[in-house]
Amino acid sequence: MVIKVENLVKRYDGLIALDHFSLEVREGEIFGLLGPNGSGKTTAINCILSLLKYDKGTIEVYGRPMTPDAYDIKRNIGIIMQNVALFDELTVYENIDYFCGLYIPDRKKRKELVEEAIDFVELNKFRNFLPKKLSGGLLRRLNIACGIAHKPSLIILDEPTVAVDPQSRKKILEGIKELNKNGATVVYTSHYMEEVEEICTRIAIMDKGKVIALGTKDELKGMIHSGEKVTIEIFDYSSNILEEVRSIPHIITAEYTDNLLVARFSKGKNNLGVLLDYLRSRQIETGRIYSEPPTLNDVFLEITGKELRDYAKGVQ
Amino acid sequence: MLHIYKYRLKCIIRDKQMVFWSLLFPIILAVLFNLAFSNLSKSENFKEIRIAVAENDELRGNPQFTEALNSVPDLFDVIYTSKADAEKLLEEDDIRGYIYFDQGPKLVVKRSGINQSILKAFLDDYVQTGSTIERIMEKNPAALQGGLIDSVSERNSYLREISHGKAEPDTVVNYFYALIAMACLYGSFSGLKEVTALQGNLSFQGARVNVTPVNKARMIAASIGAAVTYQLFVITSHILFLVFVIKVDFGNQMFYIALACLVSSVTGVTYGTFISSVNRKSEGVKIGILIGTSMIMSFLSGMMFDKMKYIINSKLPILGYLNPANLITDAFYSLYYYDTHTRFFTNIGLLCGYIAFFGAVTYLSLRRQKYASI
Repeated sequence: MVIKVENLVKRYDGLIALDHFSLEVREGEIFGLLGPNGSGKTTAINCILSLLKYDKGTIEVYGRPMTPDAYDIKRNIGIIMQNVALFDELTVYENIDYFCGLYIPDRKKRKELVEEAIDFVELNKFRNFLPKKLSGGLLRRLNIACGIAHKPSLIILDEPTVAVDPQSRKKILEGIKELNKNGATVVYTSHYMEEVEEICTRIAIMDKGKVIALGTKDELKGMIHSGEKVTIEIFDYSSNILEEVRSIPHIITAEYTDNLLVARFSKGKNNLGVLLDYLRSRQIETGRIYSEPPTLNDVFLEITGKELRDYAKGVQ
Repeated sequence: MLHIYKYRLKCIIRDKQMVFWSLLFPIILAVLFNLAFSNLSKSENFKEIRIAVAENDELRGNPQFTEALNSVPDLFDVIYTSKADAEKLLEEDDIRGYIYFDQGPKLVVKRSGINQSILKAFLDDYVQTGSTIERIMEKNPAALQGGLIDSVSERNSYLREISHGKAEPDTVVNYFYALIAMACLYGSFSGLKEVTALQGNLSFQGARVNVTPVNKARMIAASIGAAVTYQLFVITSHILFLVFVIKVDFGNQMFYIALACLVSSVTGVTYGTFISSVNRKSEGVKIGILIGTSMIMSFLSGMMFDKMKYIINSKLPILGYLNPANLITDAFYSLYYYDTHTRFFTNIGLLCGYIAFFGAVTYLSLRRQKYASI
């Protein structure tokens, strides 16, 4: 086990940030911590890194208690924080070299590692630039390079794609997968469920300082009653159709807006076929048809009664 | 450790705002002080008082008076003329006053002032001396034998300006020493910067640094070392500028001056680390505190008003010992002025006490490696 957290409790002036939070991260996986802002993800990471004091619980990394002076453990960790943590007075190369030098004293070896990191995040053209000359996406990539240049075996990324353009986001996610392929265990926190779904092998969904669901994305989706969401374009709509659609087996909800009929199903076989058969039987013409499997948002919605997506929109 | 030191020094040197306030601003102030004080020095130089003496028979009958005037050549610039011309010169402000004889010397001035008072004091002294000699001649003519007249008419100054040290007292140099004290205290900005870059609860960079496998004490030592190096460069630059450009006299005790620079620089840096580590206000507030306290301490050590240092020393001496800026100013002044090093080492010792206090509080605050919140 790379990380083992048991019953972690952290309070801020009476407000409970982590409520008996437990977690296990296995070697070689990309472990996702998904939750809305304020759910306790960053607090959990800061406690794991021994930056924050906590009220109760135990934290082990690589089988040993994590403490501020556990330098042997820290040597194997790479951290990419939510906020860009760079020195404005140092160039791209110097920033990476400075942070890498805190782990790797050998100058020759360090030089190679810094060059590799610059190539990895594709910042070669910008190596002599000061951070203030870089775009938000390039800054995030530099932030990542500073955290991974020393080739850690455990990489913790805390919301690394916040305020990043789609192109940089894609590069960052591809990079994380590559780091994992090269042997690193990755802990990835985000409130973007699409990212977590795309790269994580196991996911813990957090809310109010607790892990409310844990498993692979398929296991998580298997935990809920919701099935697919079907969207069908309909042009000759009459109000009694909606009532009849709602009475079709396995349909949980059905709505009609802007020529689109949106139906949510519970789990069942051939749900889409049954709905289409009904529409054909009523000789209703259909346009485009989409069928989407349940998402992690559906998982969060069903467990908490709140939309994870709404949280994400609210903070951007 | 050298790696951290090198990069921290780079960060400090490349911080343009820091370089302006710590290096350029005191130099600009020194130039302004020099412009202001060169005029002040000129105004302090005594200029002969221009007077007129109206010529008439009575004056010619009193050669002792002309002799008395000639005995103080540095005091008066005398024009001998007619009473009418003297009146005209006075009217046109060409002279401060004139003397004419009409049954004894009479003084005419247009307005009161220091020059007029000196002129009157001289005339009163002359009249009193004349009257004393007349009385002695009446009562005891024999006493005039043996040089009594010379003794009575000799104008002695019984008060003499003496120096406690090797140099003449000079209030102007104190302004520049106080300016160095201010520049030393401005070293607190680099101390503040270093603590901010080290503390996980003060900066994102600090948080990142705290999860690396580097011992915190080594990190602190390398960072403060970088700040002190920069501050030493700043203070050396100031002193060279003051010595070679402004021509301020620092005496010629290079070892002691270097010691004062080192101790003062460390005091400034550790003052910044102290302020930064004992409160969790924003960086802007901390900079405000540092600027405000540095200016107040510099003012109390005589930077804007030279008498302030002496007012504090005479009315509230304890405040002088509590004020690091005053101790720095006084350390440089004592090297310039005193023959012995007792006062210099008293100041240096007290500054070392401050360094120990600021350093200990900083270390105790920074060594904490886990934070309640970030």
